Amino acid sequence: MSHAMFSEQAAPTAQGLLAPPSAEPPTFPRVPVSGYSDCSQPFQLGERSFSRQYAHIYAVRLAGMRPGLERCARKQWGNDIALRKLSELQAGEKCCVVGTLFKAMQLQPSILQEISEEHNLVPQPPLPKYIQPSDELMLEDELQRIKLEGAIDVQKLVTGTIVAVYGSEQDDGRFLVEDHCFADLPPPLPWNGPSSDRFVLLASGLGLGSVSGEALLSTQLLVDVVTGQLGAEGEQSCAAHITRVILAGNLLSQNTQSRDTINKAKYLTKKTQAASVEAVKMLDEILLQLCTSVPVDVMPGEFDPTNYTLPQQPLHRCMLPLASTYTTLHLVTNPYQANLDGVRFLGTSGQNISDIFKYSSMDDYLEILEWTLRAGHISPTAPDTLGCYPFYKSDPFILTECPHVYFCGNAPHFQSKLLQGKEGQRVLLVTVPDFSATQTACLINLRDLTCQPITFSGFGADSEDRDIEVGH
Amino acid sequence: MADELYLENIDEFVTDQNRVVTYKWLSYTLGVHVNQAKQMLYDYVERKRKENSGAQLHVTYLVAGNLLQNGYVCHKVAVVREDKLEAMKSKLSTLASVHVYSIQKALLKDSSPLYSTDYDIVKSNLQHCSKFSAIHCAAAVPRTPPDAPRAPAQSQRGPDAASVVNGHGPPAARPPPQQQRGIMGMFAAKAAAKPQDTPKETKAEAKEAPGVSATSSKPSIKNSIMNNFFGKAAMNKLKANSVPEQLKEEKEVAKPSVAVAEPESSPNSVAEKPGKKAESARIQQKDKRSKTKRTDRSDDEEERDPENVKKKRKRIKQLQSDSSDEEADIPPSPTREEERAPSPPLVPALKTELEPASTEGSAAGRKRKRKRVLKSKMFIDEEEGCMVTEKVYESESCTDSEDEFPKPKAPAPNKQPVLPAKREPKEERKNLKKGAAPVNRANKQASIMGFFQKK
Repeated sequence: MSHAMFSEQAAPTAQGLLAPPSAEPPTFPRVPVSGYSDCSQPFQLGERSFSRQYAHIYAVRLAGMRPGLERCARKQWGNDIALRKLSELQAGEKCCVVGTLFKAMQLQPSILQEISEEHNLVPQPPLPKYIQPSDELMLEDELQRIKLEGAIDVQKLVTGTIVAVYGSEQDDGRFLVEDHCFADLPPPLPWNGPSSDRFVLLASGLGLGSVSGEALLSTQLLVDVVTGQLGAEGEQSCAAHITRVILAGNLLSQNTQSRDTINKAKYLTKKTQAASVEAVKMLDEILLQLCTSVPVDVMPGEFDPTNYTLPQQPLHRCMLPLASTYTTLHLVTNPYQANLDGVRFLGTSGQNISDIFKYSSMDDYLEILEWTLRAGHISPTAPDTLGCYPFYKSDPFILTECPHVYFCGNAPHFQSKLLQGKEGQRVLLVTVPDFSATQTACLINLRDLTCQPITFSGFGADSEDRDIEVGH
Repeated sequence: MADELYLENIDEFVTDQNRVVTYKWLSYTLGVHVNQAKQMLYDYVERKRKENSGAQLHVTYLVAGNLLQNGYVCHKVAVVREDKLEAMKSKLSTLASVHVYSIQKALLKDSSPLYSTDYDIVKSNLQHCSKFSAIHCAAAVPRTPPDAPRAPAQSQRGPDAASVVNGHGPPAARPPPQQQRGIMGMFAAKAAAKPQDTPKETKAEAKEAPGVSATSSKPSIKNSIMNNFFGKAAMNKLKANSVPEQLKEEKEVAKPSVAVAEPESSPNSVAEKPGKKAESARIQQKDKRSKTKRTDRSDDEEERDPENVKKKRKRIKQLQSDSSDEEADIPPSPTREEERAPSPPLVPALKTELEPASTEGSAAGRKRKRKRVLKSKMFIDEEEGCMVTEKVYESESCTDSEDEFPKPKAPAPNKQPVLPAKREPKEERKNLKKGAAPVNRANKQASIMGFFQKK
């Protein structure tokens, strides 16, 4: 494991600036992006119509993933297995069925139940997880559904996943699962990465507009490191190799979402501005500082002023008048897919992962991230529990090619893992932490797909040793 | 020596002005590379401490390096107080950089003064915030102003089918000629009325575009004035439609023309004022005219410029319905017919232009400008052989910048609007003949004598 990152290269000149002024301090040119292409067209919505039902998206999802799953099933259980549709099932016959999972959860929030008068329910408060031991899994295909039991982890799986199950139908009408498989990693992309060190900085959850000013200095330090103001010469020259910055959502804090104005009387709120206005101005200034020095891709997140349903559309440039004058500012969709210097990036601002977290027993964001890659779908819980646009022609969240870097934003901690696939896939999984909570961002080296977290801190009255943990 | 100058500067900042001097602040203030600023600070600290070991000087440092955290080798960047510097350095497995971050007289409790100092200095230098940085990015080029706003318009013009919200893309080229004719038409209509109109008219012909651009350069002010005039409901529609138009006009007009438009602002304002009243009266007239005429004109307009003018048309229609009550007391004058003849599409185009033009005039000129003032005029009426006193709007130079909307209402009963002078005497005479007395009385407040006179 090589950590030939900033520190080693910068070490020789670390104390160089503890000296009287030298005549000509060097200026390092930013390493230019050799190849960039935005591959997010499937996530860009033009004319939008919400008059369609969501059943269509499940139909195209199943139709789109069925061939790949049948291939996986044959590979796993033999070429001669019987592939059946649910309507063709015969009791006792061992066969393989491909369908969509549906998990019936008692605790799942249901708006229909809440407003139903006969139940007279108080609206359920939001829970961190909605799973219960009594949850049940069903398999649905185009026409029918059947209850599943057996060698399948009910707690772990979530609604909307396309799965192939191998087993047989029982007399009581349930399907006894002996084995199951997912779409597995998509086919690999050829590797065209750079031969020299090039870094991409991934950060998310800047959380501007929050009440606390804790993270503000850290945000400024982040900007200063990237723009080459901070650090000694060695560090600055390393920072010049940061070819791109990707901000993965939640640029604004959840606090800016307050809708007090709805509850208060009009005369109290007449002259008050939405909290997000001030926050967006701050964002504009920060982006301006970054854009004068490095190309920036800005993805919207859960708390940002754009549409709620996935795929989230780019922030509008009119909100960022100062920064959008620079061509280095790219306002992109969530999820975002792009080729940076020959390396394919794919990632979201984290809503997909956090939604699966709520409805699955999986606790680790990295584990969930890997699981979505193996399940072949970025966000299976959409549209069931996560808002989604009613696609009907094709499901753009199906993974058709294996990216080189797969990330999700706004995770509780930083984690990364290099995954090797059976067909030669090499994927760097990164969970980008929430900067406002952790003051940590990620530096990815495109040359060898290594990732290093970078943490910032100031000092406060009580924060002397809080953030220094001696690791093992 | 120049070298020593910075020491004195820093000394002044820290001790005399009691500032928190961060490297960034010093870099912007002295106009030096950030690394030089860091070195200057270090140099100052060393020298000061050498000459006076009891100097009241507190320093914060930036330390960066590798740190093992949570199982990952993390690159840590931290701002620390001097007393914690060694402790932090020892925690790092590899030291990447250390330099002075700031110097200040007082001991800092937390790092928020550092943040606010940096924030303030960056805010005042936003235009060149990477000027003194150690990294220079060749790709960070600001878009040139005409390109920036034009880019969305062009990209919309191209894939028309794909363009989402605004239908403004395609007809972008058309508004200017429309408004040019509009301005022209307006001036042409009032040629007889005002002496100023004629010189303006010729100027206007030559400089329609500037007029448009001058007016369009103050969309926000226009909006507020229009708001007053037309009321909120109509306002929103107007705003939505006219602001994109304004922006487009801005682009398409060259700079010099804007400069030329400036001197015109004062004559423009006068023309705009009569124009405005003409407009309002015109609206009124339209209401009273037969529907067929209106639909005829709208057909015409739609032929010429379906999308754009239809939009304008919609606005005007809304305005008419909204403001018809407001303008009820502005009577239609028979003279309106004449003015409407010139060119129908000018009217809606006119509307948007008049408003901004007048506000542009009022906004641009807190200086002398011509204004219409209600004045009593006395003259001997030869025909009748009597003296006639009447209230008339007269153009007068004054420094008042307020548009007075009550004014149109005041002479309403008298039917005295601006325009064609030749008509005025006739009208006035008619008015006076017919009902000078009751009309005049209508101006005044109903007196208590009316109660007694009924008997």
